[in-house]
Amino acid sequence: MAVPILKQGDILIATIQAALSDADLLALRDDLVNRVGRFRSRGVIVDVTVLDVMDSFAVRTLRGIAHMTKLRGAETVVVGIQPDVAFAMVELGLTLEGMEAALDLEEGLLLLQRRMSGGSERDR
Amino acid sequence: MTDEAATSIRVSIRSDADIVTARQQGRALAVQVGFTGSDPTVIATAISEVARNIVVYAGSGEIFFYEARQGSRGGIHIIARDQGPGIPDVALAMRDGYSTGKSLGLGLPGAKRLMDEFEIASEVGKGTTVTMKKWVR
Amino acid sequence: MKADRANLVQSPDTLAQMMGITDTEIARRKEWLEFTEEDVQRIASISDFARQIQDEVIDGLYTHFLAFDEVRAFFKDSQILERVKALQKAYFIRLTQGSYDRAYVEERINIGSVHGRIGLDTKWYLGAYNFHMRAIARRIFVEFAGEPEKALEIFLSLVKLEFFDIGLALDTIFAQREHTIRQQQDAIRELSTPVLQVRDRLLILPIIGMIDTLRARQLTEQLLRSIRDTRARVVVMDITGVPAVDSRVANHLIQTVDASRLMGAIVIVTGLSAEVAQTLVTLGVDLSKLNTVGDLQGGIEQAERILGYRVIQTEVAAAPFAGA
Repeated sequence: MAVPILKQGDILIATIQAALSDADLLALRDDLVNRVGRFRSRGVIVDVTVLDVMDSFAVRTLRGIAHMTKLRGAETVVVGIQPDVAFAMVELGLTLEGMEAALDLEEGLLLLQRRMSGGSERDR
Repeated sequence: MTDEAATSIRVSIRSDADIVTARQQGRALAVQVGFTGSDPTVIATAISEVARNIVVYAGSGEIFFYEARQGSRGGIHIIARDQGPGIPDVALAMRDGYSTGKSLGLGLPGAKRLMDEFEIASEVGKGTTVTMKKWVR
Repeated sequence: MKADRANLVQSPDTLAQMMGITDTEIARRKEWLEFTEEDVQRIASISDFARQIQDEVIDGLYTHFLAFDEVRAFFKDSQILERVKALQKAYFIRLTQGSYDRAYVEERINIGSVHGRIGLDTKWYLGAYNFHMRAIARRIFVEFAGEPEKALEIFLSLVKLEFFDIGLALDTIFAQREHTIRQQQDAIRELSTPVLQVRDRLLILPIIGMIDTLRARQLTEQLLRSIRDTRARVVVMDITGVPAVDSRVANHLIQTVDASRLMGAIVIVTGLSAEVAQTLVTLGVDLSKLNTVGDLQGGIEQAERILGYRVIQTEVAAAPFAGA
């Protein structure tokens, strides 16, 4: 089941709609990497609002997306991690290296726009 | 509420799609048992790790879910079994973990962190059985 | 204890579940009391007899009760008294009607829960059972005057059953109290860690008191939900009021920070003294990912800067309640 990917100017938005199998997640990764190359996108948003579990495979795949798209010049932001999911991820010891997280699509777009315009980075 | 033996669920694990089924079943039972807050998600995540382990290292296996009891405390009891190649050095496998976040690692140390009780028995050439429990606080 | 009534009202089925009263458990309890089919037969043999003496036994019970001020207080209303007497007679009859199955157990649990709800001390409850048993014993021995061994066997069977009942009723009262205590503990925990919204997108989490794993988890869950509900981008977590910050507490806090970042929120930790920080680093805790500021005020100021607020003080305003 393919994940719909929307193109909004320089940004690709992938909205996950249901629990994905491993194969679907990998397909998403490859799809995004292809499109970033094709459209020279500078930003990628992966919306995981609907996911009720993010395990080590999901996180590894997301990191893969961030890493591979960065090689093609894009920043990745994951949005929509739910409170319980964030809690479980941290208990499991999973971190999102190579990408940032934002609360939702709106925040994710703002974040990307700030990054892409080379504007002030948030205090970390 | 009927006898414990009646509340057992079995999920056959043969492909990555079954991983999703296993965690959905696990979550449903967890909620039924009385887990609240982030616990059902924590349990589903542990199931996901262990189920994926079966798919990746053994090819196929099965997971059983039981409602557990400890006096007035309810809980969930999960047994994940496969007849795969087995783990040669369990201690080493359990040490390899997500502290670095880089290693591919087995999902086992992670699952152990998420659950209250965790046991693993494995024999090379025979298979692996993971038993884990979590109690309602 | 005048507990919140709403918390105590649970269905017998829910209570049975909370108490772990499965069919296996019921069988176990009977085994423990050596309560067998023979006992059931013996008790059944006096069911007519029980019907005959119910008035005498129950009226006698209440005459005894009402001699005590503390118990009389519960029966000021004569309607209540009549109702309860009728219930007691029904219970008395039921004792000898056999079929001590799940339905019977749930009825006992129901009785226990009613007593728990009205807050009757267990001593009165046990005293009533004792009165019951003595009254029945005398009457049984009179009824079977020529056969004392038989009378004794019947009585002992009844004793087993009454202990079965008492066990269930007491366990029900305890389960209710445990439930209330747990709810109160949850309420206290929640109150003790309020998540305050002082500006748009800014949350303050002042933590006071010791943090154990359970509290850390509850606190983190509450914060994450608040981040979602208020769309917070910055959280100022003040730990000035946490007396002992050891490596375990520090790791809990780091987890809270990490989880918040997964939801796009930055956490500024305030109130971590330099000495404690130094100790933690020595213990191997990686504080590099913690964004720390000395005190709460400084933390709030930094948060406001991040969010793009600028606080300007205008002319000093007049005192709000200046005399007319």
